[in-house]
Amino acid sequence: MAYQHNHEAMGSQVHAYKADIFCRDETRVDWHSKALWLLREKRDRAAGSLPEWEQLRQLGSEIKLHTLTNLAQYLETFEQNCLANGIKVHWAKDGAEHNRIVHEILASHKVKKLVKSKSMLTEECHLNPYLEQRGIEVIDTDLGERIIQLAKMPPSHIVVPAIHMKKEEVGDLFHDKLGTKAGESDPLYLTRAARAHLREQFLSADAAMTGVNMAIADKGAVVVCTNEGNADMGANLPKLQLHSMGIDKVVPDIDSAAVLLRTLARNATGQPVTTYSAFYRGPQVDGEMHVIIVDNGRTEMMKDKILAESLKCIRCGGCLNTCPVYRRSGGYSYNYTIPGPIGIAVGATHDNTNSIAWACTLCGSCTYVCPTKVPLDKIIHHHRRLKAEAGKLPYGKNAYMPLVGKFMASTTLLNCSMGAARTALRILPGSLLKPFSGAWGKYRELPVAPNSSFEAWFKKHRSL
Amino acid sequence: MKIALFIPCLVNQMMPDVAIATLELLEKLGHQVILPAGQTCCGQPMTNSGCFDAARSTTLKLLNAFKGVECDAIVCPAASCLVAAKENFHEFDNSPEAQAVINKLYELTEFLHDIAPIPAFNKPFAHKISLQLSCHGIRMLSLATPSEQMGPRFNKVEAVLANIAGIDIVYPDRRDECCGFGGTFAVDEGAVSAKMGKDKAQAHAATGAQYVVGFDPSCLLHLDGLIRRQQLPIEIRHIAQVLNAAL
Repeated sequence: MAYQHNHEAMGSQVHAYKADIFCRDETRVDWHSKALWLLREKRDRAAGSLPEWEQLRQLGSEIKLHTLTNLAQYLETFEQNCLANGIKVHWAKDGAEHNRIVHEILASHKVKKLVKSKSMLTEECHLNPYLEQRGIEVIDTDLGERIIQLAKMPPSHIVVPAIHMKKEEVGDLFHDKLGTKAGESDPLYLTRAARAHLREQFLSADAAMTGVNMAIADKGAVVVCTNEGNADMGANLPKLQLHSMGIDKVVPDIDSAAVLLRTLARNATGQPVTTYSAFYRGPQVDGEMHVIIVDNGRTEMMKDKILAESLKCIRCGGCLNTCPVYRRSGGYSYNYTIPGPIGIAVGATHDNTNSIAWACTLCGSCTYVCPTKVPLDKIIHHHRRLKAEAGKLPYGKNAYMPLVGKFMASTTLLNCSMGAARTALRILPGSLLKPFSGAWGKYRELPVAPNSSFEAWFKKHRSL
Repeated sequence: MKIALFIPCLVNQMMPDVAIATLELLEKLGHQVILPAGQTCCGQPMTNSGCFDAARSTTLKLLNAFKGVECDAIVCPAASCLVAAKENFHEFDNSPEAQAVINKLYELTEFLHDIAPIPAFNKPFAHKISLQLSCHGIRMLSLATPSEQMGPRFNKVEAVLANIAGIDIVYPDRRDECCGFGGTFAVDEGAVSAKMGKDKAQAHAATGAQYVVGFDPSCLLHLDGLIRRQQLPIEIRHIAQVLNAAL
């Protein structure tokens, strides 16, 4: 079979293979799926409590689209206002340049320890290993991020990065790394231990770095949202603060930021607003504030009208929580830093297994959940077409799809072979047929075959 | 009305009972029903995979089967095939003749709700049914408000069935979560697809309903395979079969 052949050839890389491994522990899949669905339910309640929810989505979409359409202008305004506020602004075309800029800033201040609050952009740029190789200790300060950092894992979700780990596993990890009591898995106890540990890190850090949720052009300010206050603990203690942002994070003014803030937390976790939403618009007294503005493929993405809409995303993670495939295949099956529907939208171009665009049933739930109306299912479908046109199809589709096309276009071929299939399904025992029916028969009973096609029935019963 | 049936390959070859029920119920409602020859497939398995070149001849063959056919509506008892046909016809042919065909395309539930409502049912259907709100029907054809969307709600599927005497309509938990069929997803991503289908089948069975009733045969066929694999005490029925039994 072409499918099986290719599956093996692509080895452990393709999404289906990794998802298959994740699915082998069904209890864990159920738990993972349920934990994320709880977030979806909280989101539904929070969204439902606002009569203007759908209007907010429409506004959010229009604000982001307007800004992206006039991006150069808003980025320039943002830079000018930042400079006027005493903020140093840097431009990076890609991840490598971003990392180099960050390192130069840190090196010039002889920074030994950097506290970082969660940023998917620094994950995208692989900043941590870059700095660590250059002798700078990097401490992720978001609890979930710290957990996976201690476990030496990447995030498996963009908002709840350690969602794949059970509390018992966190207990074992903390016992090993932080010296907590063995066998202890009480979340309150573990959180307190993490808090004490992180407090030490904040107090001994030389610099702080955060991601950016929104960059407000007319104020020259950045907005950083956390539930744990860790970004603020970081940015307010050392004198040196750095903020990394993608070019897509800019919004025109504080009113547009307000619209997005109203939907961000509600759609992520069902909270009315993120616990700490801090606006930074200048350095501390005697301090320095740097903003690094990163492209890293975003301009390229904007050349395609459909793909461009993925830049409207505000990274709430709502599409991951609702995605029935993500919930059952886990964040590590996507072969990209960002998993789930938005991960496919922004990552499929870089996916060398060419499989993540197909890790989706195109059910469309993500598109309806999205607070800025990113048409995720359309984007994912479009990626498939781009891959097909580039001759990069997974699962043997290159070989069999043209044949299916010819087959389906021929009444005779279709009727003859389906007639034979129906006969086989009726007279042969299921056990004999299963090996020939691929993945369908592996997991499902084969269909009960009817005697004839509808067309044949119609000719017999309705012909004059 | 004069209605041309659009019977997708899956229904024609594997679920003729669904097509027969569709035909019979439309006839009972007083419509003249024809079956234009030469229909095979809407091209969805190919376009869904991104393979538009491979879909061209199949799609155009279906479109040609309807071009010039004299009728008031083209009705299809399969939501996802209907959506695919609409999109693919647009993609491969932008002639006025193609547009005339597209303008007449209706999914069965949509047709019975928006165009030619059923005046009255003659027989009771005293069963509890669990509605399968398949993705393409609700999110692309607007047969019901998707659960993600806030504001006023509507549900054409329930509205069409609700007047049948004795019918008890319920929904599974996570009422409109995808069942995991997804065309070639069912074989390419076998493990995840099967797990999604298994969860969906169990959620339907947990309602205590006798039948899972839906408007999309492909989802139903997938669920049927998983229901029987798990030996769950529930059976699939297409909405056309329920309606036909009550007329």
